[in-house]
Amino acid sequence: MEGETGKATVSWENGMLAPVDRLRSDRADSPTPGLVEGTEPGAGQQSAIFYHAQSYEDLTAQAEEEAQRAPGSDSSAEHDEEEFNALVGEKSAKERLNSEASSESRTKEEDVSSEAWRSHKKHVFVLSEAGKPIYTRYGTEEALSSTMGVMMALVSFVEAEKNIIRSIHADGCKVVFLTKSPLVLVGVTKSGQSEKELLRELQYIYYQIVSLLTLTQLNHIFQHKQNYDLRRLLAGSEYLTDNLLHRLERDPGLLLSAVTCLPLASSARDVVSSSLQAAKAKNLVFSILLAGDRLVTLVRKKDQFLHHIDLHLVFNLVGSSSSFREGEGWTPICLPKFNTAGFFHAHISYLEPGSELCLILVSTDREDFFNMSDCKQRFMERLSKRSAYQAMKEALKCQSYSVVQVGIPELRHFLYKSKSSGLYTSPEIPEVYQSDEEQERLMGLYQDLHSCLHHPTRPLRSFYRCGEAENLLAMVTSGFELYLCFSPLATKALAYSAVNKLLKWIRREEDRLFILSPLTY
Amino acid sequence: MLMISPKMASGAQDKQYTPSLLSFFIYNPTFGPREGEEEKKILFYHPSEIEKNEKIRNVGLCEAIVQFTRTFCPTKPAKSLHTQKNRQFFFEPEENFWIVMVVRNPMIEKPNKDGKPPTIEYQEEELLDTVYGAVVRQCYSMYKLFNGTFGRVMESGGVELLIQKLEKFFYRYLQTLHLQSCDLLDVFGGISFFPLDKMTYLKIQSFVNRVEESLSLIKYTAFLYNDQLIWSGLEQDDMKILYKYLTTSLFPRHSEPELAGRDSPLRPEVTGNLLHYGRFLTGPANLKDPEAKFRFPKIFVSAEDGYEELHLIVYKAMSAAACFMISANVELTREFCEQLDGLVGPQLTLLASDICEQFTINRRISGPEKEPQFKFIYFNHMNLAEKSTIHMRKTASVCLTSVHPDLMKILGDINCDFARVDEDEEIIVKAMTDYWVVGKKSDQRELYVILNQKNANLIEVNEEVKRLCATQFNNIFFLD
Repeated sequence: MEGETGKATVSWENGMLAPVDRLRSDRADSPTPGLVEGTEPGAGQQSAIFYHAQSYEDLTAQAEEEAQRAPGSDSSAEHDEEEFNALVGEKSAKERLNSEASSESRTKEEDVSSEAWRSHKKHVFVLSEAGKPIYTRYGTEEALSSTMGVMMALVSFVEAEKNIIRSIHADGCKVVFLTKSPLVLVGVTKSGQSEKELLRELQYIYYQIVSLLTLTQLNHIFQHKQNYDLRRLLAGSEYLTDNLLHRLERDPGLLLSAVTCLPLASSARDVVSSSLQAAKAKNLVFSILLAGDRLVTLVRKKDQFLHHIDLHLVFNLVGSSSSFREGEGWTPICLPKFNTAGFFHAHISYLEPGSELCLILVSTDREDFFNMSDCKQRFMERLSKRSAYQAMKEALKCQSYSVVQVGIPELRHFLYKSKSSGLYTSPEIPEVYQSDEEQERLMGLYQDLHSCLHHPTRPLRSFYRCGEAENLLAMVTSGFELYLCFSPLATKALAYSAVNKLLKWIRREEDRLFILSPLTY
Repeated sequence: MLMISPKMASGAQDKQYTPSLLSFFIYNPTFGPREGEEEKKILFYHPSEIEKNEKIRNVGLCEAIVQFTRTFCPTKPAKSLHTQKNRQFFFEPEENFWIVMVVRNPMIEKPNKDGKPPTIEYQEEELLDTVYGAVVRQCYSMYKLFNGTFGRVMESGGVELLIQKLEKFFYRYLQTLHLQSCDLLDVFGGISFFPLDKMTYLKIQSFVNRVEESLSLIKYTAFLYNDQLIWSGLEQDDMKILYKYLTTSLFPRHSEPELAGRDSPLRPEVTGNLLHYGRFLTGPANLKDPEAKFRFPKIFVSAEDGYEELHLIVYKAMSAAACFMISANVELTREFCEQLDGLVGPQLTLLASDICEQFTINRRISGPEKEPQFKFIYFNHMNLAEKSTIHMRKTASVCLTSVHPDLMKILGDINCDFARVDEDEEIIVKAMTDYWVVGKKSDQRELYVILNQKNANLIEVNEEVKRLCATQFNNIFFLD
């Protein structure tokens, strides 16, 4: 098992491996010739912020590794024990989670044999390898225990043949299985979503659970007691998974394996970044400033990279809990793509009451609360003297930007991802897609395009679809991914010329839309 | 089928295995509902030498999958199960009768050093559900063509007879399945029509009318030339499967004697019959033979009150083939066959050379034959017409396509996309190999074009396809 844990521990000691200069897959032929990875609009001038891999493919590869994981081979057992105790000792955090749960009491009481339950667009189930229910999106785990038992029976039946179950397909319904020992995740979709997309979402759910417990602890628990009821440990945290599922249906960042930024003049952003950089501490690894779901800036320890999945889990944690608004929060969090074995400790606080700006300071030390609190004070003192703070608050007030500003007729919406920086930009959802249903449909369209372009064995350079409701164009080059959504009136010629026009516009606006000069301590 | 991949340079070679049939079984869960009686559910199992308990286990898994899927989707049954090593396809053609086909994913075997067993890598994304789902449905349709429904056999002879019939049919049929060469054309299961001028078409129609009038026993007639259909009196769905049988099984088996010279020993006895080239492809090989048996295969086609059973007479002269179908209640005699031979033989011979001549003239007008400029597949759901310039020759055993298999799979992917929504659509993709693939769906028609113009852009590709539509499908409207 030279897999996950091994790699993670090593990198923990030696610093995260810098983003490997990924195989520059021969995706030449970009619309702007000569545009190579790292020079596309939005590419950072220095090193990347994230440890980002080629979208989701790496996750699937890893699934295999982990499936073959031999139990009990974790190298950092002592360390784990300590972390385990750390979690148990972390009463305050757990209590906070619990109170959160009661306040947001989930409407789960649903008859699981009813048509209403069946007709939900997407179900997600998590169970232990003993077939014990851990999570269900709709209905209660108790009512579904026999269904989950059947799921586990199917998994083990196929496993007994030295095979792995992947999915079941019926007309208009797909069931996807993901075995991530000691957990089994099952997703059911009725929306025509591809198997790969659903699998990606299950991976996120898996990491969400790991981020609450660490994989080491998870393994530890099930090694000791195979039919342990994990809900006892996760009680009160279901809302995080619920919210993450909601995000997966709405947030293009999770689809693109990228993060979007608050549009802000680069001068202002640089001041904020350098203020964060100055407020450093010995055990501080990441300082993250968020504005809602958008990143303002991220300062990191030299040679430590944050994976986009980890960052999305942080976004989810912050976005799902209102309790952080009440003061300074201090919570353990495992960043599974960084290290599945241990916890970081995050100091989470809003800059001002009622503000959207939330500062997250990630430390390696459990006892670091006051140091982090001090860092925040220093940052605030520095920032409040500068006009950049005001600029940032102004930027928050106005909406992001409208697609009309780009000046391409018939263009309704787009997603642009700079591959080397792991950042993406997209305008606001236009009127036509404002309703929940339409917004999810638009995301569904993007998911389909994404699936087609990133087909595991038959990837495509570009994909154009002309239908009755809209015309879509998607393309991948070595430097960027681009997804365009036009009205059905747009012609192919228009769509074709829009690519260059849009790239030029993004280049012109890149100072504002992206973080071009990320800083380290 | 084993192919050695040439790309390994390190001495040790990767072995590449194409998809293959792992098992094929038919069961009815209501036949052995009690514990200990599970074996009674199984009506057919290939390979038969599999141990009884394993058969029961595999059937059990299918039942469980079907049952489990009903939790979420009570009305639409499970169609396939994907696993790392294989895919299983489920089909319930008649209530409670399930046909299951298990296909192993293609795989690559990589040798290991130090005498360790080789590493096997399964290629899980290679099989298209639509293609193999269609293959299973075709298996059933073919069985039904020659045996009628499962229910019919159950009524006439119970489970024992059904088991016998299934054994007899599938034992042979499964050997003709060539899973590695299945593609989009299997999804369509279309019929290739022979292009013909009006005059010749009328000649054929009047021939059919004359024969049907003289031999009033004939209920239905179908006329083919060069393995392509010209005229059919059958229902579309029946013709579709009969066409499949004729072109992939019956005709290929009988093509050799025609290619052989006149005096070749391969050529069946035609002495004494120099007036025409007509001969029976089903029934008696030689009318003059006093031992000749006048037995024809029986087929089942749909009729107003369910189905009707017919004798299938296939009679061929040169490249023209006529199928005559006669109610199975009638016993066919030597006299009838001689009468048919005497009437149809000379006329069909003449007609065959007429069609050939017309066809050559037409082709001369439209330009000499060359590698088609466009590689495309066209299918019309309304009349099942299909046309492919990608497939050089397609029979059950040989499938020569002129394009890379990955491109064929991209066509399949686009087809799946089209099937999802019931509206007109166009999809244009550029593959990593820089080939462009265009798919259009309009009304009930689908057109797929492959273009090898690496430096073309979206607009140029669009223009090319427009040109193709103008020359090949000038009367068909496609969404632009």
